[in-house]
Amino acid sequence: MMKQAKISPIQMALLMNPAIAATVLLLVPSITAKQAEQDSWISPIWASVIGFFVVFIAYQLNKLFPEESIIEYSEYILGKFLGKLISAAFLFFYLHITGIIVREYGEFVSATSLFNTPMTVIIGSMVLVCSFAVLGGPEVIGRVSEIIVPVVMLLYIIIFILLIKDLEVKNMFPIMEKGIKPSLMGSIVPQSWFSEFILISFFLPFVKDKKKGMKWGMISVCSVMILMVLTNIMNLFLFGKLTASLTYPVMVAARYISIADFLEHLESIVMAIWIAGTFIKITVFYFILSLGIAQWLKLSDYRPIVLPIGFLILLQGLWSAGDLQELSHYLATTGAVYILSFQVPIPVILLLIATIRNKIQQGKGNKQNEAPVNH
Amino acid sequence: MKPRSIIKSSGLCLLIFNIMLLSGCWDRQELNDLALIMAAGFDIKSDHKIELSVLVFIPKGGGSQQGMDVSGEIGGGEQTLVRSAEGVTIADAMSKLQEILPRKIFWGHTDVFIFNEDLAKKGVSKQVDFIMRHPQLRERGQIFVSKQKAKDILKLISPLERDLSEVLRELGEHKIGLSVTTKELSEMLIGDSKDYALPWIKILPAESSKNPKQTIAYITGTTIFKQDKMVGKIDDSLKRGLLWLRNEIRLAVVTIKPPNTDGYISLNLYNAKSELTPEIKNGKWKIVLHAESSSDIVQNTTNLDVSNPVIVKKLEHYLQEEIEKRIELSRNRVQKKMKADVFGFAEAFHRKYPEIWNREKDDWNEIFPKVEVTYDIKTKIRRQGLTS
Repeated sequence: MMKQAKISPIQMALLMNPAIAATVLLLVPSITAKQAEQDSWISPIWASVIGFFVVFIAYQLNKLFPEESIIEYSEYILGKFLGKLISAAFLFFYLHITGIIVREYGEFVSATSLFNTPMTVIIGSMVLVCSFAVLGGPEVIGRVSEIIVPVVMLLYIIIFILLIKDLEVKNMFPIMEKGIKPSLMGSIVPQSWFSEFILISFFLPFVKDKKKGMKWGMISVCSVMILMVLTNIMNLFLFGKLTASLTYPVMVAARYISIADFLEHLESIVMAIWIAGTFIKITVFYFILSLGIAQWLKLSDYRPIVLPIGFLILLQGLWSAGDLQELSHYLATTGAVYILSFQVPIPVILLLIATIRNKIQQGKGNKQNEAPVNH
Repeated sequence: MKPRSIIKSSGLCLLIFNIMLLSGCWDRQELNDLALIMAAGFDIKSDHKIELSVLVFIPKGGGSQQGMDVSGEIGGGEQTLVRSAEGVTIADAMSKLQEILPRKIFWGHTDVFIFNEDLAKKGVSKQVDFIMRHPQLRERGQIFVSKQKAKDILKLISPLERDLSEVLRELGEHKIGLSVTTKELSEMLIGDSKDYALPWIKILPAESSKNPKQTIAYITGTTIFKQDKMVGKIDDSLKRGLLWLRNEIRLAVVTIKPPNTDGYISLNLYNAKSELTPEIKNGKWKIVLHAESSSDIVQNTTNLDVSNPVIVKKLEHYLQEEIEKRIELSRNRVQKKMKADVFGFAEAFHRKYPEIWNREKDDWNEIFPKVEVTYDIKTKIRRQGLTS
């Protein structure tokens, strides 16, 4: 299904970057700063280890099953019943996560600008736009991210440059005051974001040049890590201890820019970055959910179910949390463990079983091959 | 094929038409429905009540030209509009204020916040919470403490600038006195010592021939807060020393009187930088202030030959002593008398000696007044102006 669509490894790297980084940039700096304080810039480096690991696992699985996604090969590996069960759990998990992402977007937009607009409209319009991109297929998503991501990066760097005159390097010291622990604790929440790199296993079957898939996957993880380190450094240098008590530090940072009395009120740039980035993030998750469900039900095409799933995502977004406090408390506590426990152990177990079964089968195959020769 | 495509395109038109109807009107805000707040003032009304006064920007259409013709003066009384309301919190007062303002209050352009002295004595942290929490308010707004009622200050008609918020914002940005933004104040409030300093403003007496309201307020000193309580203020002559210790000095003219002469030499300071270096030795807490600056001679009323390098070397020495004296005076007042750590000594020690700091931070109030301060001031006289 859809196997004729092909994306380049660079496109994959480009679409994975906002798929992870878009929501990280607004909520996570403050969550990390609560734990790690002045070491918050170290935390993303620890957290990225999970990202590299997960990309490695996804690539190894893809080597064994080059044309299938995790939903399909879990059946081959675990058998029909167990495989279906695991992939159903996986799909429910992604439905929930997509709902949370959509809600994060809605909360940010409504808390900063559209106070009176109903959440249904904010979320609904976004999901509708995303569904068009999803209907277009992986090639369209890849090309859209090729256009959007460089612009978003450029805007982000501009914000950073404009803030340089207000940055205080001394806020960074003392480095590792309480040892390595606070920065490790602070890395748990970003880890859950980095574990989302397992999504790459859905895109690898579409990649033209499979050998470069691993390399560009790693580059994508690297770029997210650098982006997060930069964000945390910017917040740390600008706000110091204050970062932990701000809800959206990057937004406040952009608002703090004032160059020569007229270059002010730049929060709209953050809005643009955020909305463009979340658009790709939601599209990627939405696409994977639609594709996964179609593969699970063995449909010949995923397109007919895109809009109904969009409706489910909308509802999930409205139900996923009562308010912003609940949402960010959830993400900072149980959410991290929940996300990590789905996206890391399951692929690892799948890879282990697949490798062992392959070895056994190879052994059997060799014996069967040898037998006729002897006769 | 034809009729199908007509149905298709008409369906599409209907969809597009729907989108036009649905384009979110919930948060529509028209500029002519907004009251742009340029500055806000806070006074104490009774034990529990705060009076919030706001300076509202009056958009003018064509009125100024007429004003010019009649009196030859721009503006007049109609330039500023000050409204006030009471409440137990700022937000409460704001809701009452909205009752008497026909337009919706908009905080996005508020640059100046003035706290009256009497309110500031009780601490400003509770009010700053509103400023940091409100989504419209920007974190670059400057905070001042005023001698007179904040409401009266807002009512002043500035002769040179558009209104008082512009005056105070510009004065703050010159960095002649202390200037503190909301963000910086919030940082100090959760800092290691929790002591902070805010610029102190008062009304400049008007020229006798003019309307007493036709004047401005200016930064004349610094108020010192210890543990969110105002403990005192230092005046104009001492505030410079404070700026040196906080590395905020940007613009200054220093006048020295060289010994054995009967005149003065004034120097214009630039590229000033200072840094605190903490040191803990045998349980003794010490701070070294390293300060560097360059200066130009701007006036010389003595008979010294300032083109002579030997004399310039001597002048540099006198200048260093003068700067040191100024810093010493204000440090003495703040550190020994008010015992408030507004210089950032606590942060400096925390950064360099994290273990010792974490052990002893509860005793910081006792340690701070005993911290020994020494100076390492380097100045360089670069130029002597255009005459010799």
